[in-house]
Amino acid sequence: MKAVGARVPRYDGVAHVTGHTQFVDDIRIPGTLWVKAFRSPVHNAGMSNLDTSRAEAMKGVHVITWEDVPLLEYGHLSALGIPADEPLLAKDEVRYLGQPIAIVAAPTEEAAMAAVDVITADFEELPALFDVRKAFDADAPQIHAEGNWYRHFENEMDRRQIRKGNVEEAFDQADLIVQGVYRPAAIEHAPIETQVCQVVPEANGRLTIYSCTQALYFSMGVVAAHLQLPLNKLKVVGGTVGGGFGGKVDTATETMCALLAQKSGKPVRWRWTREEEFLCSSTRAPWHMEIADAVTKDGWILGRKMLTLHDSGAYSRFSPYGLTKHSFHHTGAYSIPNLEFDGYVVYTNRTPTTAMRGFGVTSVSFATETHMSRIALELGIDPYELRLKNANRIGDTSPNQIVYTDPSTVPTILAIADAVGHELTPEYRAMTPGQRTGDLLPEHLVGQLADPEAH
Amino acid sequence: MNLTVNGVETTVESGALTSLLDVLREELGITSPKAGCEAGGCGACTVLVDGEPRRSCLTPVAAVDGAAITTVEGLGSPENMAPIQQAFTHHYAAQCGFCTSGMMMAAQAYIDRGGSDDHEEIQEALGGHVCRCTGYVKIIDAVAATVRGESFDATVTAAGTAMTNLGGVA
Repeated sequence: MKAVGARVPRYDGVAHVTGHTQFVDDIRIPGTLWVKAFRSPVHNAGMSNLDTSRAEAMKGVHVITWEDVPLLEYGHLSALGIPADEPLLAKDEVRYLGQPIAIVAAPTEEAAMAAVDVITADFEELPALFDVRKAFDADAPQIHAEGNWYRHFENEMDRRQIRKGNVEEAFDQADLIVQGVYRPAAIEHAPIETQVCQVVPEANGRLTIYSCTQALYFSMGVVAAHLQLPLNKLKVVGGTVGGGFGGKVDTATETMCALLAQKSGKPVRWRWTREEEFLCSSTRAPWHMEIADAVTKDGWILGRKMLTLHDSGAYSRFSPYGLTKHSFHHTGAYSIPNLEFDGYVVYTNRTPTTAMRGFGVTSVSFATETHMSRIALELGIDPYELRLKNANRIGDTSPNQIVYTDPSTVPTILAIADAVGHELTPEYRAMTPGQRTGDLLPEHLVGQLADPEAH
Repeated sequence: MNLTVNGVETTVESGALTSLLDVLREELGITSPKAGCEAGGCGACTVLVDGEPRRSCLTPVAAVDGAAITTVEGLGSPENMAPIQQAFTHHYAAQCGFCTSGMMMAAQAYIDRGGSDDHEEIQEALGGHVCRCTGYVKIIDAVAATVRGESFDATVTAAGTAMTNLGGVA
C-alpha cells in the first residue's frame, strides 16, 4: 500500500515532458509510404464504376479496394458470435459520409493525395437518415437490407428487453405517471492525436503494427480476421495513446495499413487529418430515451417503462454491447421493482458510433437523474429526499437481477448534500445503505424491495 | 536555409514552403512538436522562434531562415530537467502527453517574458492550446509553481521511496 496517499510519479511522466515519449507518429522507418483514403462524398448511396486505374498507374502508388480484402465483413464483436454488418471497404453501397472506399499508399503525402484525387466512382444517392427516432419508424427508408433495427441479440431478438415484477399493476397503483424524453447528442472524442498507424512488413513474414489503439487485442483479432492470418503473423505494438476516450477502441486504420504493407512490401504510415478525425472517426452515440414512471404522492417509484433507441450510425460495431450495459443501468442508482425496458440499436446514416467514457451508461445516467428531478418537481418534494428514499439498498436487485451488496447511493447523496449545504430532515440524515425507513414504505412495495428489517 | 535548433546549427534541405513542423519532425527527426490539427487550432506544434511561441504547422520554413528554434528537447533532458518540466511532472500536468510539448513551450515563453502566477493571466497565455485530458487545472498549477520558483525532484514521492515505474509498487 505504498502508493495509497503518496505522490507516485507517473511512469511515463518524465518522458512526456522531455519529448522522449514515442507516439506512433514519431516512429521513423526509412522508406515508409504515406497512406490516404478515398472516402464516400455522400451520406447514403448505391456505388458503381469504382475506378482506381489512374491512381495505380502513378509511380510508386499502391491501392487497395474491397477486392483486396480476404474477409471483407468482420464485426468488432464477431469474436463473441455477433454477426458482422460492416465491410472494411465499401463494395457497392456507402452508408455514411467519409466511409472508406479505396486506400492508397505513396512515397510522399502529396503523392498519396494526388492519387486519391484521380480515383472515381458513381454514386446514386438515396435518402439519408440522421435522427434515430425517425430511423426507428417502420416506414422509414431502410438503410440495411434487414431494416434499421439491429436484430441479433440473444435468440435473434431485435431488442434488448428487460421485464421485472408486474409493471402494469404498478401503473394501476400509481398516484401519478411522470413522463420524460431525453436526447443527448453525439460527441466527438477529439483526441489531440488523430488516428494513426504504422505497419512494417518484416523479413520473417510477420507484420509489425504500431497502433494508437486503446484495445490492442481487439485490433489484433480484427486485423487477423480480415487478412485471414493466424495471430502469430502479427506483432501489434501499442500502449502509447495521445488521447482516446473510447474513440480508439474501434480498429480504424490498422487493417487497411496492414493490407497496404502486404501489397506494397513496404512500411506504411497513416495519420488522419483533423478534418478526417471530425468527419469520419466514430463519435459517442446520440440516444433517444423515453421514460414513464409510476409514482406515489409521497415519492415512491413503483414502476418504470422505458424505451431506448441507441443510434449506432451506419454499422453496429460495439453498439449492442453499449445498449446492453445501458439496459442493466436503466434505473440508475435507484431501486424500482417493476420494470418494462425495451432498447433498440438503430441504424442511421451517421458516422458509426462507439465507446466513450462510460459507454452506454452516461446517457442513461443523464436521463434517470434528470427524470428524478422532474419527479421531485412535479410532486413538489425535495429532490434529495426523493433520491434517498428510492436509493438502492443492500439486498435490492438491479434490473438484471444482480443483488446489490455494497451500494453507495445513500452515502453519496448525503455527501453531496453536505458539500452544497443542503439541509435534510433527521429522518433522511439518518439513512444508511442498509436501512430503508420502514414507516415510509408503501404496502405494495413490501416484499418487492429488500426487507427494511434485514440489516 | 539554416536553422539553429536547440543550439545546434542545421542546414535544411526541405522546400521553402515546407512547414517548420514538417522540417523538424520529418527532416530533422525532432518529434516533440506534434501534428494535432495542422491548421493552427490546437497548439500542439508550438515551438519557440527566437524566443517567441509560434505554430510551427503554419510557419513556412523560409519565413524563419536563420532563426533560433527551441523545442522541448532544448529545455532539458530527463537527467537535467528545466523547472517547467519538473513542475509538469510533479503536478501531473501531462496526462496522455500529446499536447504537453506545445503547452510547455507557450508556458516557457510566458515565464520568460515575466508572466505572473495569476491563474487568469496563465489561462490567457495558454488560451490557444487544447488539452482533452486534464481539464487544464493541473497545467495552470504547474505554470504558476514555476513562476514562483518552486522546484521538484521528480523521482521522489511523498512516500519517500524512489519509484519510477508503477509496476514496482506492489
